[in-house]
Amino acid sequence: MARMKFLCDADRCIECNACVTACKNEHEVPWGINRRRVITLNDGKPGERSVSMACMHCTDAPCAAVCPVNCFYTTADAVVLHSKDLCIGCGYCFYACPFGAPQYPRVGNFGSRGKMDKCTYCSGGPEPDLSVAEYEKYGSNRLAEGKLPLCAEMCSTKSLLAGDGEMIAQIYKERVIKRGYGSGAWGWKTAYRETIAI
Amino acid sequence: MRQSDKTRKDGEGGIGRRQFFRALGGGTAAAAAAVASVPLTPTEAQAYDPGNAETRSRYRETDHVKAFYRTNGYETLKK
Repeated sequence: MARMKFLCDADRCIECNACVTACKNEHEVPWGINRRRVITLNDGKPGERSVSMACMHCTDAPCAAVCPVNCFYTTADAVVLHSKDLCIGCGYCFYACPFGAPQYPRVGNFGSRGKMDKCTYCSGGPEPDLSVAEYEKYGSNRLAEGKLPLCAEMCSTKSLLAGDGEMIAQIYKERVIKRGYGSGAWGWKTAYRETIAI
Repeated sequence: MRQSDKTRKDGEGGIGRRQFFRALGGGTAAAAAAVASVPLTPTEAQAYDPGNAETRSRYRETDHVKAFYRTNGYETLKK
């Protein structure tokens, strides 16, 4: 069974934000929130790197672990989705997520947040595939159409890879072997500094 | 006898104020005892089960997807 993954080749990302715009347009994401963002490290300095970030669809998702109403579920494609009918907008998932993926479209009185919204890997939600209800709540369901997330398909420099984890890992490995080095934006050395022995 | 004294005492054929509160107190105590004697049975929490239809695989390796893999591996993968 294929496991859906995102992989951003940070050496190719030019911070054009096309992935952000494509996602926002495809799913008609409300004002004030983005399901995907481009993060730039060492901005304006030598060695500057950009990396496109969204929900990484974790295998052991911390958002699902802390959700008090159990609204998260993982599909057979290893995509982490949630039910907006069950979500109470408590914000626990936002604090638990290491990538800042969960977003809240409305800010109401007394700090109420509204239903959580996050990247669905372009695969909708619990409603029937390609239905109007699904589109209104979660955006389009490109996976059901036999396509991949639009952010990756739109990437002009082929930086953002999406699809079967084994396939995109193979593509990335070949790139690393050819150019002789990996990403400068993520990996063990970024997380634990240069001192770590890999 | 004044009217106010009349109302304080038990009325004819009806229940008086003292009897009323005595009866009420006895009833409340009996109800509390009944509640205390019933063991607490917490209801089982139900986790959200999205069902097979929602969690089934939607990914298919269509020509569209194959084209994506091919174009992303143009530089490196063997054609």
